[in-house]
Amino acid sequence: MSAAVPIPLIQLLQVLTVALGAPGLMGVIAKVEARLQGRRGPRVLQPYYDLAKLCRKEALAPSGASWFFLAAPPVAVAAYLTIPLLIPVLTTYGLPLGYMGDILGGGFLLSLASFVVAAAALETGSPYAQLGSSRAKTFSAITEPVVLFVVFTVALLTGTDLPYALAATVRSSAGQVIRPAHLLASAALFMVILHETGRIPVETHTGTNEFGMIEEARSFEHSGPYFALLKWGSMLKQFILFTILSDVFVAPWGLASTQRLGAVLLAIVALLAKATAIGVAVAVIDDSFAKLRLFKITEYASAAFLLAVLGVFTLYLGGG
Amino acid sequence: MNAAPGIYQGAANVIAALMLLLEFGMLRQALVRDQVRLYAAQSALISVLAVVIAADRDLPDLYAVAALSAALKVFAVPYVLRRLLGAPASEEVPGVAGSHTLSPASAVLVCIGLAAFGFFCFGSFDLHSPQAPALALAIAAAMVFVSFGLMIVRRDVASQAIGFFSLENAVSLAALVLAAGLPLLLETAFLFDLLLAVVVFGMLIRAHHARAESLSTADLSRLRG
Repeated sequence: MSAAVPIPLIQLLQVLTVALGAPGLMGVIAKVEARLQGRRGPRVLQPYYDLAKLCRKEALAPSGASWFFLAAPPVAVAAYLTIPLLIPVLTTYGLPLGYMGDILGGGFLLSLASFVVAAAALETGSPYAQLGSSRAKTFSAITEPVVLFVVFTVALLTGTDLPYALAATVRSSAGQVIRPAHLLASAALFMVILHETGRIPVETHTGTNEFGMIEEARSFEHSGPYFALLKWGSMLKQFILFTILSDVFVAPWGLASTQRLGAVLLAIVALLAKATAIGVAVAVIDDSFAKLRLFKITEYASAAFLLAVLGVFTLYLGGG
Repeated sequence: MNAAPGIYQGAANVIAALMLLLEFGMLRQALVRDQVRLYAAQSALISVLAVVIAADRDLPDLYAVAALSAALKVFAVPYVLRRLLGAPASEEVPGVAGSHTLSPASAVLVCIGLAAFGFFCFGSFDLHSPQAPALALAIAAAMVFVSFGLMIVRRDVASQAIGFFSLENAVSLAALVLAAGLPLLLETAFLFDLLLAVVVFGMLIRAHHARAESLSTADLSRLRG
């Protein structure tokens, strides 16, 4: 177990863990949710089968849609797959490409992916896809300040805006974990993640009612491998956000601090376990709350904003 | 900015921050029974804080204060309030739901501004003493402002009474972190003051309810009935 894994390989493994783990995570959440409702639920591996099935299907584009419609899904997936290079997925030490971008860089990539998907939905001319993308952009505009304030908290805590630095700060002492600013920012981030991944109380994930849809509606007109890419993209986004929450904010433990093979493998297992734990929490929330009416989502966003702003206040004005 | 306070101080700060969040919860909550529940939770937190400070600074008196305050504010005051409001738990008193003058989201935003003012006031005092955690004090100041905000944005007597009682919680929080060694007798006297306030408010609520058959203050704009 003492064999050292070369750095480029670790970097590749970060991307591969996210890429291959994401559908499994979706499967686990669907399974847990079904179990909590007393159903047997789909297999955990079902998302993989779904993606494989979609890849074999024919791809169609609405008449009048330009090249952008078909280019958007690969661009979105490429953006999502770049983010694992920037955040601590498996290691406590920064990998060479990890300093290409800071936490804002990751945020820009997430926004870029969501922008191209929304723009492609506008290309179709289909009312529901357009409604979805318009809603998605509206609500992401009101959750964006929350994300910014979470980033400010990170910056005030560490003096940088590198995700690696925050993870190291949180690991450094128990006093850092129990700080109000850290807990408030983590809670705000969790609320944003529920919104971004389209979970209750913002959006139902499994519903078929178009009127309540936000993000889900955007991919209505895509089909075949392109639809598979979009679905995979939203799974990747979920896994990446869970990774940021666990490896940067809530539980940055279990990451490899050396290049040893054993440590890296352990880090992969730990990451999957942590993501599953967050997934179970999300499934419990999904089953215990009702979906908010569309115009009540501002109240949800204001609650998340409150947490994030108080996090900054306690640090900047309160000195805690 | 990087140095974290110790565990005890961190715990005290977290409890204070949770109390402030519950204050915002009362602001958003539409039904009076949920507000009473939040008030009880906030009071329970202040007892927990008293226990934490007692353990940290080795002040056995504070355990008694915590127990007394829990008995009074977690059980007695909410019970008396529910009785005075006169309705069974399943039924909502008219006039409370929908007494928001602002939408909940705007009320939260306005009160974030008030809280910022409270934080700013205490932050500019620049207190640095191991005996007085500056953050918990600043949070107490923010809570005072937010509970005033709660009394202003809600047009019903029940919310205003609860805003007043949680104002007392905010002051207790400040007293607890600033003067933990206060004699037990004085603390007890303060707690019984609160009981008096509850009874007075209760009488006013009942009188208003008997006259207007609603708890809303919206019809109180005329001088003669």
